[in-house]
Amino acid sequence: MTAASITCTDLTIRFPVYGADAKSLKKALARAVAVGGALGRHAGVTDVTALSNVNLKLEAGDRLGLIGHNGSGKTTLLRALSGAYEPDDGSIEVNGRIASLLDLSMGIDPSATGYENIRLRCRIGGMSSKDIEGRIDEIAEFTGLGPFLSMPVKTYSAGMQGRLAFAAATAVECDVLLMDEWIAVGDADFQKIAHKRLLKLVERAGILVLATHEAPLLKLYCNKVMKLEGGVASEIVDIRKVDELLKS
Amino acid sequence: METATHMLRTGQRGALFQFQMASRDLRNSFQRIGLAWSLAWHDVASRYRGSVLGPFWITLSMGLMVLGIGFLYASLFNLPLNEFLPYVALGIVFFGVMTGTINEGCDTFVLASGMLSQTSLPMLTFLWRTVFRNLINLAHHLVIVIGMLAFYGYWQTANIPLALVGVVLMLLNASWLSLLAAIASARYRDIPQIVVSVMQFAIFMTPVFWMPSRFGKHQIFLDLNPFYHLLQAVRAPLLGQTVQLHSYVILVAMAVIGWLVTFAIFARTRRRLVHYL
Repeated sequence: MTAASITCTDLTIRFPVYGADAKSLKKALARAVAVGGALGRHAGVTDVTALSNVNLKLEAGDRLGLIGHNGSGKTTLLRALSGAYEPDDGSIEVNGRIASLLDLSMGIDPSATGYENIRLRCRIGGMSSKDIEGRIDEIAEFTGLGPFLSMPVKTYSAGMQGRLAFAAATAVECDVLLMDEWIAVGDADFQKIAHKRLLKLVERAGILVLATHEAPLLKLYCNKVMKLEGGVASEIVDIRKVDELLKS
Repeated sequence: METATHMLRTGQRGALFQFQMASRDLRNSFQRIGLAWSLAWHDVASRYRGSVLGPFWITLSMGLMVLGIGFLYASLFNLPLNEFLPYVALGIVFFGVMTGTINEGCDTFVLASGMLSQTSLPMLTFLWRTVFRNLINLAHHLVIVIGMLAFYGYWQTANIPLALVGVVLMLLNASWLSLLAAIASARYRDIPQIVVSVMQFAIFMTPVFWMPSRFGKHQIFLDLNPFYHLLQAVRAPLLGQTVQLHSYVILVAMAVIGWLVTFAIFARTRRRLVHYL
């Protein structure tokens, strides 16, 4: 297998914003009648350019930190890299198995037990049922939830849910790891083992892309930084220059 | 590992490109068909979690409805029970599968928005999830079907292979209708209400609770009703009756044209679907 890599060329992503109005068929029909067949022209749909002409080239061993204000396009870029959003212009090419840990609650069913949720989450992550059965004890141990794993997840505290989701989500083998800032789950003890696991994952992953506001986290996990501002990306710089980039 | 190791997404447009991407989605969804099964099983299991009977509520509630309606209508219309009860039981069970698949199609993408917006899972995986979920329900209802056929002695005359052909035709048609409902519902939130109303209307307009022979001179309305042919293709062989040839012609044509049109719509809207949600 070729080494992991990510290449984005002139990546542009625009969101059509379908207001509450546009989602109603009545409004769309009314508009079509009034304007005389404007339905095809998407009248009233505004575009928001979330990313414009982002160029990015990452190779195995690169650990990129994404910084930028809220709404600067960090999550959109991660979602595009995960394959969920398709570019409006330009292209994205990713080599390697992608694991996206953008939203910890993805695929978690609160009424199912801890064990069932681990299975479900790993299944969505791309593991086969056989793989999961082979590793479930290891994952269960990592959560540290013991007997609680047989109880429905809705009885868990937020911290416990975080542990479960983190353990299941990071169990999937991957070459490219996409993370939104949610690493701060669980208590101090869990933080420590989670940190170890992440470091291992980062070593194994090949490429990490992490969106965060926190400089200490960046320095801990990343070796490169990129700043997004209103969907426009800065140059990728070395982590040592992160302070300058944060100030600018 | 089932995960793809290479992903390329481009801003390229054009009908051919969109078609290729949609076909790839279809192919990938078949490669990971096990995931759709797992999700469907999970759906059924979690719906009945904590209840004593579990998924057998599916069988029980259907059984009660079939008996209730069967006895009531048989006495209202003065029909022999041994003819009418199996007829209505099969009608409700198989029409229920169609209604379920189409109605739940409305939620297919809406409920999967979390997964669709952060993974490259094939979108059609979620269509199969809906279809499989209804197949699992059907499997629970089969107890009633088999019970009826055995009890009233239709066992000898039932043409099982032909009924299976009917089931396949029904699934082929229900699945494109389901996909169409899923796409439309993601874009316009009024669609689920419309679909539910249409299906409710359809169950009364289709000979589910009544015999087509009672329709008399309005036979043309039966032939224009696609649900009649869908139901007939499954029910008639099981009851030892023949299915008219034109029913098959209509069903095959409907499946082919329906899938072509729906797949074209899917190809056109696929890249936008995640933004609709």
